[in-house]
Amino acid sequence: MNVVLNICRFNPEVDVKPYFQEFTVLVEEHNTVLDALLQAWQQDPGLSFRRSCRSAICGSCALCINGRPGLACQTLIRNAITEGGRITLEPLPHFRQLKDLVVDLDPFFESLKAVVPWVVIRDNHDGRMAPEVARKLESPATCILCGVCHAAMDDPGEVKPAALVKGLRLALDPRDVLGAARLQLMKVPRDILRLFIKNLPEKCPKGITVPEDVCHV
Amino acid sequence: MLIHEVLVVGGGLAGLMAALVASQKADVAVLSKIYPTRSHSGAAQGGFNAALGEDDSVEAHIFDTVKGSDYLGDQDAIEVLCSEGPEVILELERMGVPWTRTPEGRVAQRSLGGAGFPRACFAADFSGHVVLHTLFEQVLRRGIKIYPEWHLVELLVEDGQVAGVLAYDLARARLEVIRSKAVILATGGYGRAFAKTTNAHANTGDGMAIAYRAGAVLSDMEFVQFHPTTLYGTNILISEAARGEGGYLRNYDGERFMVHYAPQKMELAPRDVVSRAIFKEIKEGRGFEGQYVHLDLTHLGEALVAERLPQVRDLAIRYAGVDPARAPMPIEPAQHYSMGGVRTDVWGMTSLTGLLAAGEVANVSVHGANRLGGNSLLETVVFGRRAGHRAAQLARQEPWPTLSAATITRAYESWSSLLAGRGQGVQEDSTFAIRQEMTNLMTNQVGVFRVGSELEDAVNRLAKLKERYQRLKAPGGMQPFNYALMDYLEVGYLLDLCEVIARGALRRTESRGAHYRLDYPQRDDQNWLCHTFVRRGEDGPEFSNGPVKITRYAPQERGY
Repeated sequence: MNVVLNICRFNPEVDVKPYFQEFTVLVEEHNTVLDALLQAWQQDPGLSFRRSCRSAICGSCALCINGRPGLACQTLIRNAITEGGRITLEPLPHFRQLKDLVVDLDPFFESLKAVVPWVVIRDNHDGRMAPEVARKLESPATCILCGVCHAAMDDPGEVKPAALVKGLRLALDPRDVLGAARLQLMKVPRDILRLFIKNLPEKCPKGITVPEDVCHV
Repeated sequence: MLIHEVLVVGGGLAGLMAALVASQKADVAVLSKIYPTRSHSGAAQGGFNAALGEDDSVEAHIFDTVKGSDYLGDQDAIEVLCSEGPEVILELERMGVPWTRTPEGRVAQRSLGGAGFPRACFAADFSGHVVLHTLFEQVLRRGIKIYPEWHLVELLVEDGQVAGVLAYDLARARLEVIRSKAVILATGGYGRAFAKTTNAHANTGDGMAIAYRAGAVLSDMEFVQFHPTTLYGTNILISEAARGEGGYLRNYDGERFMVHYAPQKMELAPRDVVSRAIFKEIKEGRGFEGQYVHLDLTHLGEALVAERLPQVRDLAIRYAGVDPARAPMPIEPAQHYSMGGVRTDVWGMTSLTGLLAAGEVANVSVHGANRLGGNSLLETVVFGRRAGHRAAQLARQEPWPTLSAATITRAYESWSSLLAGRGQGVQEDSTFAIRQEMTNLMTNQVGVFRVGSELEDAVNRLAKLKERYQRLKAPGGMQPFNYALMDYLEVGYLLDLCEVIARGALRRTESRGAHYRLDYPQRDDQNWLCHTFVRRGEDGPEFSNGPVKITRYAPQERGY
């Protein structure tokens, strides 16, 4: 089937502001938006977008699909196509557009540092962890740092969602010295944190769930 | 010019591990063509082998690996790999890796192919991902400088010594010289040389090809691993863990056909054996639509699939429209891993002074002719650690190598001439077209089953593709995020490597591990119990043979 990709273009070296360009590509319903983008790239090798794993584990191809942040490689054409066989692709909101669909990721990765994003190991840790505790770490540890949650927040403001997920995952880790103190470190009121945890699975492309009881640590 | 005592190229598991270790004693930076957390190490699902179990032993792990390698692995290197496994797993545990646990709280282990014991430490089926992110956390902790989305362009070599690199910053469209005492390559494999591969778009063999061009010795390049179970059509990886947790392979008649090929190990025979079995079933008419077979998990129950294989389940549902808890998955073999690479010793040292390599880019050689599942992740951390240690030592003990203006100028000039276009461009030709022909050629003629006449044809056609490539004009110029320019360079790397792979495969007139010649179906220890070394000569690759280190286990017949 023919699909029209309506792609937001911007080259800081020549353009005054972003504009949209249409590409008609031939894809199957079960192909992904990334497959379609790769075809558009053949038509215009100057088109810039990030991609790598094509299996939703590296987080490179996060962008805005018909106004909704997601991963191009994880979104099937049949789920993305709108009226007239069109799909609109824009860079992630709340990120600075550098070129076409490529955004500035440095502030995003920098924001992780605010939550001390590593396990501060206990001196007396003996290498064991109860399996039911380990299970709680699993889902938040699948975060791929794609930036979709950040882009999907109404106003990320002081709350940096990916950093919060990292902080919460570490707060659940019995090996970590900081533990509950991490919740103070995040400087996010508990009710906002609860709301964040509640809304996360729907916004995150990996459907990450954080056990709600982390707020009672 | 930038200066770092140790420069690590590549931000996957081997690179980050090397950087962490080196940073304890030296100034280190990581240069990576994608952000480190986007590295393909993160796609590894199954686990890290280490003999932790009470019934298991390092000795057993060594033997399984030697046998799995079809006796081509160097046994001294395999001994290092297996004996350092247990301590490195515990080191990762203390860094914060969220391993799956046993009821007693120990690191859980599962069975993978070719292993006598459940030996792979795992985190559901996100094993590579969680370790990659944990190492990244530690890199942040240590404040190691990262140059993300910087591409390695050239190794700066002076009198056989690597003194730094020329690198290209994709975002700023700028060249930089980075001067170093030691450069560690950890750039991974070349999976994108094949049309059917599990590998990411980024896996284009850059480091391997650039080292080769700089004069480093590559070895055993003809040994290419084809993973038995990738989703039919997209070739997205379905972990060996699916069989480790009890999955069955079935042909069109519903038969568990592995009984005919590996009656003892069945689905958990090594990958080379299983991939050949699948192709044989398909070729003899027992596949589905003449294209694929089934990987059946339906008897395992939804709870186990959800708990142990959540990623596999998601991938199959999304990309094949099949819930593996309810219906079998259509699967076919596809390129997965490069056994060969830049030749190193057990400390990651290559044939060029000041150049080290670790992980898939390297050939140390622990995998020989066929790698066992769970051994590559182990290799990244064990040999990444060793390379980092040795590089830091060099930084402490050695003086700064000479880096003359002439060498730097030469590197800049070769970049400029590349950009200006060696050719004027041919209207109807493109990187895309050449890439497509190259990758199809490799999958169809340099794949699981090889035969002399087709390999010869492949060598000739690759030479023609190379000529066409030389006539291409580099797309665009030095503009920010010019991915087409990177793609053009990457296809050049792949063409160099394809030539070495295909010619190595043509040269080796025997069948061993993943290298199977229909015209030479037997292993030939008399003539071919040897490594293939290759160095770039004036008229293309120059091959030679080198001895295999055999310490304890003399070659035997390899049955499963």
